[in-house]
This record gives sequence, structure tokens and C-alpha cells, in this order.
Amino acid sequence: MQIKILVLMAFLGVSAVFIALSAALPGGGVMDVVKLILLAIGLLFDVVAFASRFYTYMLVPAIKQRSNNIVLSDEEPYTISPSADSIMHKDGDTFVATVYVAIPLYRSATEMSDNEKMDFSRQVSRLVGVSRDTVRFTSELYVMNKDAYIQTLKDTINSLENEAVALTNKKGQAKELDRTKGKLSMWHSMLDNIEKAQSLELITYAAISAKGTKEFEAVSIAQQRAREVMSGIGSVFGVTPSVVTGQELLKFIEPEYLIPFSTISEQLSKNIQQVM
Amino acid sequence: MDEEAITYLLLTCFLALIVVLALPSFGTGIFGLIAMALSLLAIVFIVMLNWADFIIFPMVTSMLGVTFQPARNYKIIKSQDAIVKNVSGLYYATGYVTGNLFPYVFKLESRQEEEDQKMLQAPDTWERAIMNIGFPFKFHVLSSGLDIQNVRDELEGKRSYQEFQLSRAQQGAQANEMAITELRRKISVLQTKIDRISQGEKPIATIMYFETTAVDISEKAAVDRLSAQIKSLQVAFSGMDLQLTKVVGRELYTLFTFNFSLPTQLEELAAYFDRQS
Repeated sequence: MQIKILVLMAFLGVSAVFIALSAALPGGGVMDVVKLILLAIGLLFDVVAFASRFYTYMLVPAIKQRSNNIVLSDEEPYTISPSADSIMHKDGDTFVATVYVAIPLYRSATEMSDNEKMDFSRQVSRLVGVSRDTVRFTSELYVMNKDAYIQTLKDTINSLENEAVALTNKKGQAKELDRTKGKLSMWHSMLDNIEKAQSLELITYAAISAKGTKEFEAVSIAQQRAREVMSGIGSVFGVTPSVVTGQELLKFIEPEYLIPFSTISEQLSKNIQQVM
Repeated sequence: MDEEAITYLLLTCFLALIVVLALPSFGTGIFGLIAMALSLLAIVFIVMLNWADFIIFPMVTSMLGVTFQPARNYKIIKSQDAIVKNVSGLYYATGYVTGNLFPYVFKLESRQEEEDQKMLQAPDTWERAIMNIGFPFKFHVLSSGLDIQNVRDELEGKRSYQEFQLSRAQQGAQANEMAITELRRKISVLQTKIDRISQGEKPIATIMYFETTAVDISEKAAVDRLSAQIKSLQVAFSGMDLQLTKVVGRELYTLFTFNFSLPTQLEELAAYFDRQS
């Protein structure tokens, strides 16, 4: 707030100086034009002084850098805390820790009766009010990273193929061989279907932040608040929420984790095919 | 309008008004007229900035071609409606859309049966909307609890004032029926809010918004794809009684920072949003 007032006063001061200069200069001939130019500059600073109400964060860097690409920050916007359960952001001398809590909700409206739908809507309304602290609840639809799953399917198919070869060489294992071939056909068809289209996954989570003068202080307060929110969520929905840790956190923050690289290559090759 | 807005308006407009009041010092004849026009233009611009900075600011940055770098590898484009991240030659454009429910006053005036019907349909409508969307997005509900006693005191104060206005309107020789009906409506809305708090409901301030990300091999292609995704979101969720407005300017920057740190106090949260949300 203090920086905001300082910036306002500075711009108002510069504006007043230009306007006063314009008024004090003697008039006549070219001087009238000079007076108008000074007045226009003074009024421009007056408008900028008002704009500083909303744009203090960019006015100071804009004046310092005088470039078309204004760098507000050249640092990474966050770090993951050493305990790997919080996102750390430094704001001046203050540390802000943000904890993400996954809410395991796997209910679908298609399998709910009217009463259950009504109850569910009320539960969601109650969820929003579980804490007096600021909490952000999010429902996120993201593209599933199927690379790992496809690899698992391929491994399963390989092992079944080996099993089928071994069974072919053995006598009296016809039934077992048929069963293995059936399994193989099932996994092959599953692999074909999975590779055809992208799959989306829905996840619900809550984010809670806390400030502290030291990193561990911010993390500890944020974790404490997260526990309170988790108990509130648990009592509303009857589920067990969990604190998200490690690489999983990036799914909520980084855009590239919303759409896995393999999906993008698929999307781009589709675009090329359409163009051709 | 809050105290801060009034202070900024008074201080800056006062300076421009001084020019009008001391016009002879700035020139005579045509120069005096130009000086007056300049100062009036400044006042108009200041007032416009106060009400619609989210229109003026992107216009200025687009004209001047100004972009911002809010953090390493991120860029806010000149139209101020997307944040682009470059990861190994791929561009991820992220945009935001407000998704606020219509102002509370309309909900309070609607009948209970209508509200129940909406609550009943909400899970189906949500699920149908999601099934029609084939790209990643996030729906955020940012909530912050309010002090119950403060809210109650404020509402009771407002109700008393409206009751006073109503009694004055009724005492007048020519009572204006329209004004009386309007005052009664306001009192009824305030009373309903007070009743809800008395019944144990917690007053909460909420901000709801959508976030979506598009990816492509060039910045322009990613931003175009993002625009299409935002339009799809607006269509898909239009059935949910939501106010869907594309976020631009400073609120875009604020929502971007919310991914790394949320405001911890209500005052801090309220200071960020006043127009688009």
C-alpha cells in the first residue's frame, strides 16, 4: 500500500511541476506553444497518477526499462518446498506457501437419484464455506498422460505372447492356450482403442496459502490450515482428502502438465494430415 | 465506489480542474481553448479509467505493442488476454473467463421452488457441459469467510436506512408508488440475507473463474486456439446461469499469480477485483 501511495504522490508531484512551469512561463509567440506542450505533459502525468491505482506493479518497471517488453520478474515464479508438499513463492521479504489438497470425488450425476442430486448440490455449497480462510476449490479437466499406461499394456501383451508360445510347445494345455489367446485379443483391442483418441480426466482439489517470514513458518501454517480444510471436506463428503506432493503438484500449476507431449505430437500430426 | 477510488479521483481531477480555473495563465485566445480542451480530456480519461480500465489498458498496450513478462518463460501478450509459455518450441497460451453466478439479489428474489429446481439440475448440467468439452480447463471457486457479526451489523444498518427512506417516502404529500415498491424490495432482500445468517448460514465472499490452456507450434496459433476454446467454454456453460466474461488486463496478471500464491486475507482479495468480477 505504501508503494502505491508513493507512486501516486510522485506522479502527482511531477504533474504539478509541469503544470506550474506551464503557468509560470511568460506567454506570446512560440512560448504559447511551449506552455501548451508542458501542460500536455503535466496532464499526461496526472492521468498516469490515476492509472497507478491499478497498475503500480507495471508502471515502475515500465519507466525503468523503457522497452516494449516489460519484465516484471525474471525469476521462476515458484519453488517446491524441501518437504515437497508445498509451493513456495517469495513476495518481497515474505514467503507464501501454498498447499494443494486432492479431493477424491468419483460420483456421476447419471447414477444419482433426484434426492442424491439435491444432496450433492447442497454438499458442494457447504464445501465452499468449510473454512474462514481463503481457499480455492478447483475442478480440473486435463488430458490424461497415457504413455505409462500404453507401456503397461504393451508389457502385458508381450508377456502374454511369451506365455502363449510356451503353452503351444506344451501338450495338454489347449484350454489354457485358448484362455491366453482370448486375453491377448482383449488387450490388443484395448490398446487399439486407447491409441485412437485422447482421454480426459477430471480431478477436484483445494489450494490453501499462508504467509510467513521464514520458509518453514509459511509451510507449517499452510499445512495446519490444509488439515483444517481437509477435515471440513471429509465431514461434508465423507471422503478422505490427501495433500498432494512432489511432481503431482505440477499438474495444478504448469500448463505443459495439462497436455502431455505425446498428445501434442498426435494433435500436430492430425493438423498436418488435415492440411494435406 | 470505495474510499481509495474517491481519493484518487479527487486528487487527480483537482489538478486538472486547476488548469480550467486558472485558464488565463496557460494562454489566451485559441491557446486558452486548447488548454481547456486538454484538461477536460484528462478529466474524461481519468473517469473512463476508473470505470473501464480493462477496455482502455489493452487498447493502449495493443497500440504501443507492449508485452509483459510476469515470470521466467511467461509472457502476457499485447492484447492482455492471454499468458503464453514457451516450452521447447511449443507455445502454451492460457486465458481466463469469469464464471460468477448472477448477482445474489436476483437469487434472493426468486422463488424457493425455482432454486430447488436449479440445485436439482446442477449436477446434470455440469456433467453435460464437461462431456461437450474436449480440451483442458479448470473451474476455480475462490472463497473467503466473512465476519458474521460485521456482515449482520452492516446489513441491519442498511435495512434501517432503507426503512427510514421508506417512511419518508410514505409521508410525502405525493407518494411515489414506484419508489415505495423499490424501497420495499430492497428491504425484503436485506431481510432475507439477515434471516439466512440467523439460520446459521455463513456469509462468504466468492470469486469464480475458468482457466483454459491451448497449445500449438507458434504463439499466434496457440492464442487463436485459445480464443476458440474460450468461446466453447462460454457456450458449454451458458446453461448454468453464469456470467461469463473474458478476463483481460491487470486481473489476468492477478489470476496468473494465484496459481503460485493465494491472497490470505479478504481485504487483499477484494483489492484485486472490482470491475470484471
